[in-house]
Amino acid sequence: MRMGEWVPMRQFRDGEEIDFVVVGTGAGGGTLACSLAEQGFTVAAFDAGPYWRPLEDFASDEMHQSKLYWTDERIVDGENPLQMGSNNSGKSVGGSTVHYAMVALRFRPEWFKARTLLGYGADWPLDWREMWSYYDQVEDDLKISGPVTYPWGPKRPRYRYRAHELNAAAKVLARGAEAMGIAWTPTPLATVSAPRGDSPPCVYRGFCTLGCSTNAKQSVLVTYLPRALRAGAEIRDLAMVGRIETKGGRATGVHYYREGRWRFQRAKNVVVAGYAIETPRLLLMSANREFPDGLANSSGLVGKNLMVQGNQAVWGDFDEEIRSYKGPPSLAVTEHWNYEDRGKDFFGGYCYMSQGPLPTLWGSTQSGAHGLWGEALVSEMQRYNHVAGLKVVSEYLPQERNQVTLTGEKDQYGLPIPRITYSWCDNDKALNRHGLGFMGQALAAAGGRNIWEQRDDTCHLYGTARMGDDPKTSVVNGDCRSWDIPNLWVCDGSVFPTAGGVNPSLTIQAIALRTSDRIKASARDGVGGRA
Amino acid sequence: MHPVTVLAAVAAGAGLLTWIAAGRSKRLGPAPHGGRQAPPDRGRAYGRRGAEVTASAAQRLNHASSLLAGSVLFDSSLEHYRGQFFNRAMYTPIIVSSITLASSLHGAGDTDPGRSGMRHAVQAVAGATGLVGFGFHAWNVGKREGGYSFQNLFYAAPIGAPMALTLAGLLGVAAERVRDADPDAPRLAALPAGKVLALATAAMLLGTTAEAGLLHFRGAFQNPAMLIPVTLPPLGAAALALAATREPGTSQADAKAAMWAVSAMGVAGVAFHAYGVARMMGGWSNWRQNLIDGPPLPAPPSFSGVALGGLAALELVERHRSLSSPRRLHAPP
Repeated sequence: MRMGEWVPMRQFRDGEEIDFVVVGTGAGGGTLACSLAEQGFTVAAFDAGPYWRPLEDFASDEMHQSKLYWTDERIVDGENPLQMGSNNSGKSVGGSTVHYAMVALRFRPEWFKARTLLGYGADWPLDWREMWSYYDQVEDDLKISGPVTYPWGPKRPRYRYRAHELNAAAKVLARGAEAMGIAWTPTPLATVSAPRGDSPPCVYRGFCTLGCSTNAKQSVLVTYLPRALRAGAEIRDLAMVGRIETKGGRATGVHYYREGRWRFQRAKNVVVAGYAIETPRLLLMSANREFPDGLANSSGLVGKNLMVQGNQAVWGDFDEEIRSYKGPPSLAVTEHWNYEDRGKDFFGGYCYMSQGPLPTLWGSTQSGAHGLWGEALVSEMQRYNHVAGLKVVSEYLPQERNQVTLTGEKDQYGLPIPRITYSWCDNDKALNRHGLGFMGQALAAAGGRNIWEQRDDTCHLYGTARMGDDPKTSVVNGDCRSWDIPNLWVCDGSVFPTAGGVNPSLTIQAIALRTSDRIKASARDGVGGRA
Repeated sequence: MHPVTVLAAVAAGAGLLTWIAAGRSKRLGPAPHGGRQAPPDRGRAYGRRGAEVTASAAQRLNHASSLLAGSVLFDSSLEHYRGQFFNRAMYTPIIVSSITLASSLHGAGDTDPGRSGMRHAVQAVAGATGLVGFGFHAWNVGKREGGYSFQNLFYAAPIGAPMALTLAGLLGVAAERVRDADPDAPRLAALPAGKVLALATAAMLLGTTAEAGLLHFRGAFQNPAMLIPVTLPPLGAAALALAATREPGTSQADAKAAMWAVSAMGVAGVAFHAYGVARMMGGWSNWRQNLIDGPPLPAPPSFSGVALGGLAALELVERHRSLSSPRRLHAPP
């Protein structure tokens, strides 16, 4: 999308029975919509958020750019209530990839069989070798900029673009890792280090998590969605889907709110891709006489097993200037504790990355997590340019008590507000201790002083419509197709049976491409698809 | 006064002094081979050239060193300005490439045989400076987190860049020595000058290719044209090596064509890099940032410089008068 350019697209009538309605246009929905359209299906993808034009619509202003987050009313509870918004949701066409940190890591192969091989969580109904080939495809579609050789895991093809230059915060991670005797690498990122089409190379503006205004970021908004439009898909923005209609055990379309009124779009298949809060919410809100407990919920697991990842950090002062906000926030990473199983008193793994908080976020971190106010806050903020930190992305375990349910209260659309219940288990707490302890040592070894721990942060969402081999213990099968309703699919982070210790977007996108191939195959065999 | 103005004035002044000194030192020495001159060769494409093959080839070598020195002057100015002259030593290549450029341009217009001691000395200094620069850059790469990794080879001081100044110096020194050599059988370092220079410029082409290859790999060869500088110059190097094995006096038309192709590529590279600047965020309207962060405009002509050196070598090989094929021998008029 160049400056001032129009975005022409096909438009379907509500009464037209299209092949696929996809609810959500993020990593899962947007990728799947593109692939389905390119396979020749008629597709309309719905998003509750607007279709931004980054060159024109994005400001260099942290407060203004919070318009990208899903900040609708939610009720959070449990022992460790989640903070919803910036770290785990997006209300934009392109979903949270519009404001994600672009970290593009693959799962460790053993995680796909976590129960069998590592003794925790659940097995995935997917084979890592097959996933590896879909990872290849996503990495090519996004032209991931990554290191020439990756230190961990099985062989992977070379990243299509070279890694970005490290900023000082990333060098702190590197020094710490070298001092601790573990490997590190420049982070594979979905922002280009050389020109690609209309995307100029990244200019290291550092606003990545608030929307990239140059289009260097290879979000779904600038990669898959233009392809989807060229293939004849429609992206229907500002359209909040509130209910999926069923008849005779099959989905028949979706009710959605757009331009001040409720409308109904007919469809042969419905894909729900609203991420791990909105997906179970929609399935539960669609309960009817046929499916009184909500759609696809014969297992009772819709909304259950909500997972997040730890996103705790250690921060310290350095003599030299760091200016960590320059460039993408997470330019260096170590996956050491994802691939090393010895020396752990917990299940699961974690990676950690360098950080680059912008001033408003840093101020709120200091006043919130660090508890500073007044003179102490002012003097701490004056050290902003000398601060570096390490932040974990860690694997918490699935627990049925962590869940998304509906409340009696209504939101602006008149839909029930979700209640999000979350608590750590002992394993999660042990992992937190290990991560914070190790990162603290690494930061000190790199020369950090006055080190303090930020213990409360979490990120990403998973698990509330998990995939599996058994209809009794999962909501969808390995093809992301619901066990109960053959033309209803779920394609986002909700299908993860375990969270893994890396950022989810690449895996969600790989699953979306696989799902599209599986749909194509089943349509060819005449068992689903165009039904 | 702005420091950049001061630097430019110092560089220009040093260049001017070199120019003047180069002429003076030339007149002081005795003319070699009795100041013998051959009648002008007809059908030359450009410029006033020395009649003897040694003088003519020397001028060509000075064209080569001029281009290389010019490339280094603009490239190191831009890149070291980008590096904010963080280390005082970063001023060095700007001054040295200025005097090298002046010396090379002076030689390029000199049709007489016989070396200039000043030019020879300046070119030797350039050769040594490039090597010292290489040491500095290698140290800069190695001291970073990760050491000698691709990451640091991409983003630390470009390890191969200072060698362009060494190449300029080598070709400039060769120019002075060739000027002094016997026109009937010019020799360099006690070996036939044409062969030595052909093999040397072939190696220089490969070295320059390695540098371009590394940086184009950093750019992920995102534009297919980025493959040209890693394929054409090695072919040119092979043609030069082949030329060195041929009988003296044999036509080298194919190798010459290859050298002209590499030269043209170096010039076209500037246009490609200008297009690359346009593809940065803001393009040419943001030139003050993108000239610095985009593909370097002055870099590709270093290929042209080396290729002109190859042409000089081919001229020497082609016009070498071996005993088996005696040719015209002219006494001075």
